[in-house]
Amino acid sequence: MYNWGQYVSGNSIIHRLDPRIKLLSVIVLSILILKADINAGLLLSVFMIAVIFMSRLTFQRVISSLRPFMIFFILLFLLHVLFTDGTPIVRIPFCGLSITHEGFYMGLYITWQFMFLVTGASILTMTTLPSDLISGIEGILKPLRPLGVPTHDIAIMLSLALRFVPTFLGEVDRIKKAQMARGADFKKGNLIKKTKSITSLALPLILSAFRKAEETATAMEGRGYKRGPRTYLRKLHMSSSDYAALVVIAVIIVGIQCMHFLPSA
Amino acid sequence: MARKISTRGMTYAATFGAMTAIGAYIIIPLPPVPITLQTFVMYLAASLLGRRLGPLSQTVYILLGIIGLPVFAGGKAGLGVLIGPTGGYLIGFIIGAYIIGRMIESRKHSGYVWIALSLITATVVIYICGVAQLSVVARLSLGKAITVGVLPFLIGDAIKIAAATLLIVRIKSRAQIKKISND
Repeated sequence: MYNWGQYVSGNSIIHRLDPRIKLLSVIVLSILILKADINAGLLLSVFMIAVIFMSRLTFQRVISSLRPFMIFFILLFLLHVLFTDGTPIVRIPFCGLSITHEGFYMGLYITWQFMFLVTGASILTMTTLPSDLISGIEGILKPLRPLGVPTHDIAIMLSLALRFVPTFLGEVDRIKKAQMARGADFKKGNLIKKTKSITSLALPLILSAFRKAEETATAMEGRGYKRGPRTYLRKLHMSSSDYAALVVIAVIIVGIQCMHFLPSA
Repeated sequence: MARKISTRGMTYAATFGAMTAIGAYIIIPLPPVPITLQTFVMYLAASLLGRRLGPLSQTVYILLGIIGLPVFAGGKAGLGVLIGPTGGYLIGFIIGAYIIGRMIESRKHSGYVWIALSLITATVVIYICGVAQLSVVARLSLGKAITVGVLPFLIGDAIKIAAATLLIVRIKSRAQIKKISND
């Protein structure tokens, strides 16, 4: 049940890293890539490919995670290619648009940045169990606890929600079939009919959500759930490879900062 | 945030976080772009749970996406979505949920007009957040960002706001709901 998502089981060095380190690395790399020039971008891409090798994920699998974004990538690319002013390469007849040199490179650059972001995040979720990522998030948010952010409550809510998603997916399917059996049509009809069909789906779903929340709260209270210092089934701890990963990330940050001082090619 | 969340409050925020995720899976074909029910569930969550639990449920939803469940529109997932061009909309969900909760709680009895108004305000805020991040991260001009990031969705939003308003008024009249928003 908890494997639902993108996780690919394995035992590579990337799989075994502390989830906090992995989360932090993805955040740092994402920020770096958004500010990267060509040189820094190449360095980061080489690093990313190295990480894919180390994680023993197949390239095919990593690339398949980009698929839901394809339409968006193409749209973003075309927007830049067609609507950037500059020296034209090809003119498109009849609509006054032209593909410009600047636009083409800008489009490639932006699309590639976004692909990098998605790939980095996919490697994270493919090599880390959702339940481990939850404790990772809790660990990363811990410094915010003095500010009143209920980090432990967030982790519990996240675990609950993770458990609810498949349940509700089944529920939606059941309600949809029940309404279709009563003559509802979710595909055809004008705007008013569609508004009504949304309501016919949503009302039973919302009521079932309320019921589920009540039941779960009662069950938790019945089992004596309360706030306070807790122990964990799996405790996070930093190993030597985690420290090594931290050093690698630090080297990359410093390296990119130094590259700014080099004369650009 | 300073006040502790009750167990009941936690389970409600969790269920509605999961429900928002489910909303992203329900696709209703409509010209020009098909709509998903994600913002629709967000409207319901915010207006039924109030200004504390509403935003919390949306935070849970976004974190679900970050830990790798394909719960963002179109089956997307991961931290890259939040930091990427379309992440602003997601951050807007949390702020929007707060606005809806706040506006509805500010009146003892909110009728159709007030509820619709609060949903519209929240939607505008979501678009402001979304377009801001879209134009900065994808380096698009404001005009282009609005053309791709707002205009195609307006018809769908109008339908969702209308349906949500009808539903909220109907559900709000039930006694059970008043209990949790005080929790």
